[in-house]
Amino acid sequence: MNRSYKILAIGVLACVLIIALTPYVWMLLTSFKGRLDILSPEPRWLFTPTLSNYPAVFIDKDYLPLVFNSLIISLGSTVLSVVIGAPAAYVFARSDFAGKEDLFFFFLTTRMAPPISIAVPLFLFFTTLGLTDTVYAVVIAHTSFNLSLVVWMMRGFFAEIPKEIDEAAMMDGRSRLGAFVRVIVPLAAPGLAATAVLCFILSWNEFLYAFILVAFEGRPLTVGIPGLITPHGTLWGQVAAVAVVATLPILVFTFLVQKHLVRGLTFGAVKG
Amino acid sequence: MAVSFKEVTKRFPDGTTALDRLDLEFDLGEFIVLLGPSGSGKTTACRLLAGLEAPSGGRIEIGGKDITDLPPRFRDIGMVFQNYALYSHKSVFENIAYPLRIRKVAAPEIERLVKEVADLLRIGDYLHRKPAQLSGGQAQRVAVARALVWEPAICLMDEPLSNLDALLRLHMRTELNRLHRKLDKTFVFVTHDQEEAMTLATRIAVLRDGKLVQFDEPRTIYRRPANRFVAEFMGRPAMNTIDGMVEGGVFRAGDIACAVDCADGPLMLGIRPEQIELADHATTSSVTLTVDVKEAIEPDTLLIFQNRGNSVTLRTQSNCDAIEPGQPVGLRFPKEALHYFDARSGERLR
Repeated sequence: MNRSYKILAIGVLACVLIIALTPYVWMLLTSFKGRLDILSPEPRWLFTPTLSNYPAVFIDKDYLPLVFNSLIISLGSTVLSVVIGAPAAYVFARSDFAGKEDLFFFFLTTRMAPPISIAVPLFLFFTTLGLTDTVYAVVIAHTSFNLSLVVWMMRGFFAEIPKEIDEAAMMDGRSRLGAFVRVIVPLAAPGLAATAVLCFILSWNEFLYAFILVAFEGRPLTVGIPGLITPHGTLWGQVAAVAVVATLPILVFTFLVQKHLVRGLTFGAVKG
Repeated sequence: MAVSFKEVTKRFPDGTTALDRLDLEFDLGEFIVLLGPSGSGKTTACRLLAGLEAPSGGRIEIGGKDITDLPPRFRDIGMVFQNYALYSHKSVFENIAYPLRIRKVAAPEIERLVKEVADLLRIGDYLHRKPAQLSGGQAQRVAVARALVWEPAICLMDEPLSNLDALLRLHMRTELNRLHRKLDKTFVFVTHDQEEAMTLATRIAVLRDGKLVQFDEPRTIYRRPANRFVAEFMGRPAMNTIDGMVEGGVFRAGDIACAVDCADGPLMLGIRPEQIELADHATTSSVTLTVDVKEAIEPDTLLIFQNRGNSVTLRTQSNCDAIEPGQPVGLRFPKEALHYFDARSGERLR
């Protein structure tokens, strides 16, 4: 019974893994394929690998700065969201004030509108500020949706820490701000890390705002890929090469904080 | 140097009045216990002194200096919380050292002070552990060490023993007594346990509904309770309080009739269970009541009598093997053991 259950479980897991990983593996293989192998009518699992796609896109087509743009945008919006959102979440977790729950719900509603509905207003807004076609516009736009995520998730993490800890820190000689920065934030570090990684991933993967707000200078990788669809055909090898590089940070981060991430996400779901 | 609450009032946003014009003054070096049932305002008083809450009215002074609006860190007060409130990400050593680190004490000095206080509290062997690896008693000692290590003028303790099991609580109580004697510091201790208050305090402040009911030495509070509330709150089992009438110097209530030094009229008579005497022979001064329940809490015996709807409890060390429930027993209420309270207000008459 136990043994057959185990075999069944492994079988199911294998199926899930195959379904989930095949596209990724295919993409990985494609990035090392020559043009002929890519365009062959039947799928080719065995081929002579080539490294030419990577330099072709990152050096010849000058896509390397796009990696840095992506990093600046994702890190920038993550840092900004956490720095603004965490203190806000702390206040939601600790203080009572009129309309607190309504305000908290308002933060959530900012995520309910379809992103496309505010894309044009955002574009006009940033044009007025003279920020279009810069990474700053995208950083701010991404912060607008990451901020609500930080407030929403971090409130639960802060609420989990007994308020006597703040008070003990204040009795020990910290100011209220000192107690938050020096004691509460380190205690909430796992939750903070999970939240930050999630912000980073969301921002890294985001396409719509970045596509509308920057045409050339501040383009992140996601916006760069459509540039490989040319009138003479799609450059699949180079698309795959960009996609592989684009997924690397996500893979690394997710493996690093896997445990915290799962806990952080389920926690938010239950507490919310 | 004295700590004084001057007409201190605390109202919470939900409308409850936790403290109502509290006036309280005590000297540094005392062991003050704030005692009362839940909702009496004792914890609020403690948190106001700590600076964790702001009063709605009145002033708090230490040594004549108004500290009402001073943030906690400038008050020279340490605090121990009921749930210990240790920093779970720091080792025991770092927990204790934290107030010193904030005050930028030099590292060798921190080492010395932490060792010293850890030895005093007998936690020297656990300094490298994390709080999660400590038992309740050990965690409580760490919390006390952290509150004492930087030698604040006053150490507040908000029900520090109530999360410990009974045996450990007794042990920690003794430790705190020893600590106070040795350090000669001011302790302000909040509890709802009258026994803790009796054993620890130099003076007890009994609070009820946000008001100070009595502030005296434990002995005085026990022997001359200011009113019926204090009389029944202090001592276990509680003092017997019997409603009745005085006519011609004799107090009557149900089957009870005893001589009192009181004017005629309604009276509430109080007598402690251990001060009622078993009468060997029926005499004129004795009262005969029927035993309802007998509880042997060795070496003592509790006899609970029914007297027309009121129960009267007696606590004795004498041999009660022969006494069974349902049996009438002769009792004597010695005059010098009687307390007289106003029948309506419950205030002590004299």
